[in-house]
Amino acid sequence: MKIMTCPFNGPRPVSEFFYWGEIRPMPDPATCSDESWADYIFNRNGAPGVKQEWWCHIASNTWFIAERNTEKDLVLRTYLFEEEL
Amino acid sequence: MPWRLLRFATTKKHPEPRMFTEHAELKPSYDVVIIGGGGHGLAAAYYLGRDHGITNVAVLEKGYIGGGNTGRNTTIIRSNYLTPEGVKFYDESVNLWQDLSQEFDLNLFYANRGHFTLAHTDSALRTMRWRAEVNKHYGVDSEVVGPDFVKRAAPMINLSCGHAPILGALYHAPGSIARHDAVAWGYGRGADMRGAEIHQQTEVLGIDVRGGKVCGVQTSRGYIATDKVLCAVAGFTPRILDMVDIKTPITIHPLQAMVSEPLKPWLDPILVSGSLHIYVSQSARGELVMGASLDPYELHSTRSTLDFVEGLSAHMLDMFPFLSHVKVMRQWAGMADMTPDFAPIMGKTPIEGFYLDAGWGTWGFKATPVCGKTMAHTIATDTPHPLINGFSLDRFRNYSLTGEKGAASVGH
Amino acid sequence: MKFPSPLSPIHDALLTGAAVWNSADSLPPSVSQFDASDPQKAALLGVADHSHLPRAGVKGPGATGWLAELGLSLPSRSNSWLPFPDGGLIGRLGNTEYLIEGNAARVAQIMQTPRAPGVYPVLRQDAVFALCGSRVNELLLQTCNVDFRCLVADPTQLLLTSMAGVSVLVLVAGNKIHPVYRLWCDGTYGLYLWETLTGIAEELGGGGIGLDALP
Repeated sequence: MKIMTCPFNGPRPVSEFFYWGEIRPMPDPATCSDESWADYIFNRNGAPGVKQEWWCHIASNTWFIAERNTEKDLVLRTYLFEEEL
Repeated sequence: MPWRLLRFATTKKHPEPRMFTEHAELKPSYDVVIIGGGGHGLAAAYYLGRDHGITNVAVLEKGYIGGGNTGRNTTIIRSNYLTPEGVKFYDESVNLWQDLSQEFDLNLFYANRGHFTLAHTDSALRTMRWRAEVNKHYGVDSEVVGPDFVKRAAPMINLSCGHAPILGALYHAPGSIARHDAVAWGYGRGADMRGAEIHQQTEVLGIDVRGGKVCGVQTSRGYIATDKVLCAVAGFTPRILDMVDIKTPITIHPLQAMVSEPLKPWLDPILVSGSLHIYVSQSARGELVMGASLDPYELHSTRSTLDFVEGLSAHMLDMFPFLSHVKVMRQWAGMADMTPDFAPIMGKTPIEGFYLDAGWGTWGFKATPVCGKTMAHTIATDTPHPLINGFSLDRFRNYSLTGEKGAASVGH
Repeated sequence: MKFPSPLSPIHDALLTGAAVWNSADSLPPSVSQFDASDPQKAALLGVADHSHLPRAGVKGPGATGWLAELGLSLPSRSNSWLPFPDGGLIGRLGNTEYLIEGNAARVAQIMQTPRAPGVYPVLRQDAVFALCGSRVNELLLQTCNVDFRCLVADPTQLLLTSMAGVSVLVLVAGNKIHPVYRLWCDGTYGLYLWETLTGIAEELGGGGIGLDALP
């Protein structure tokens, strides 16, 4: 069983979580070009590496950030968005 | 056959030629370099030689041929997709499949079984009706059938399926299975006979692009000059595209599968259930070949998990309770290159001479012949084949996605 | 103003000939006895339905202050709960979300008091079950990934996890020798979870029981 650690509820099986993809800065939709908006909504950094991703603990609806190596499947760190501000 | 066996027995030198020629060295240059020795890459090499007379071709494979998603899928062949682009494209592929054993002089164990996509909800049934209408319009044999029909075709099925009773199904009579290794080997041998070179254990380390044009490929066994490169590497696509700085929406998710111990033949058709996340068929060896849904998060790994076996087994028992004492023999995973509209990315790219055959996610095996054929055409003429116009990389710049909802193992 | 509690989400599944119903207290009916073998089942593995209890939920940045102004003593840390002195309980399901249950006066007070800024109502149509008996851990092993015995060590804790694929909220009532686990899930999953839990319980020698049989 793979374990993900919710910053709020502690270590839980990964089946209790929902994955929402890599954190990416959004360009300002009012000012950016069609091309850079298309790049934002469609294109992804598909190559493996350490990425910061949104995850959610479903049972408690806790959204948090996981730093994960997508090649080795290692979770390096999880933390709440507010903790990083 | 007995005569050949006798001949083998009386000679010390192995008289039967190997499937392919082994080439000790890479040549300094080729007309076309194909990255990826899976079904798609080898088929492209085959059709380049057969249809376009281009035989100075190298197929570079990092591991061994057919060792990627070609050898990791559940071998289902069908064309009952949803979009017109998809239906026309996959139907051409099904037609090509039917003569392939003959053409290769190799038994692909191509078996026409009939394919049921089960509907457990009203909304699934609505999508089935829609798919059936689109399919019929393009001459593809597809119809919506009731639970009784399903029960007759698969008498062991439990129609109540735990908490998700079967309301009906989309029945696609041409649905088939084939032996996947044989497909790669058949195309490989055909390409080899026409002069293409297959180089296994040869990793691509870089692609030489000058002035927006491909000039060559750097490999683990030296540099090759070429002005045409086809990238057909499925789960490794983002890594190759990083070398040439092309951005795509492709993300990699593992797709897992498993087989049971061999059983007496009891399941003729191929059954797919989106609600239970199952697709299952019985192979010629009697093993149940079972797949589930994509792993829900990005991962570049071919390691399988216990969660997967538990989840899929539980759903299999909902559908076939009598299997409770059957053992699972093997499980594995492949890296599926997913696109947001569940359609592939094929054709030319912003780099001249760099062609892409990717985004094959969970639906690539059945398309092997038609991909090879259309990509060979695209490379030979430097013009996209009409069948792949809807699949160009440009669609993600022009907001014109395909929306293929007939793809396997994805929730809708 | 009257705020009738809805029927239990699994009400129809409880309509068996042997069940004895309790319709007192102006609450929706509940099953006090499932059948004559309730005590034996409860000793091994019993599943009872608590869904009829009155219930309210609030959340939002102003929720803590607003509830304190109503005179409620609140759990000080997240994922914990407190019993009310006059019956029922209040649970804190995170930093700013609360569940109040089992005390009709408190629930009515929360429903009727005008809400302050930053306080939002949460619709609670949960299915609520209680699990008890000596074989309860065998059932948990089949349905859940978290060992509920951690709750016995710290009975003020609330656990948010999933059981048989359904998100649940769990706490322990009863005592250390005879723990009773109470779990809440979304009412629409109620029937599925009830059937799953009672199905396993029956295999282990228990089954559905009435509320009177709980320790």
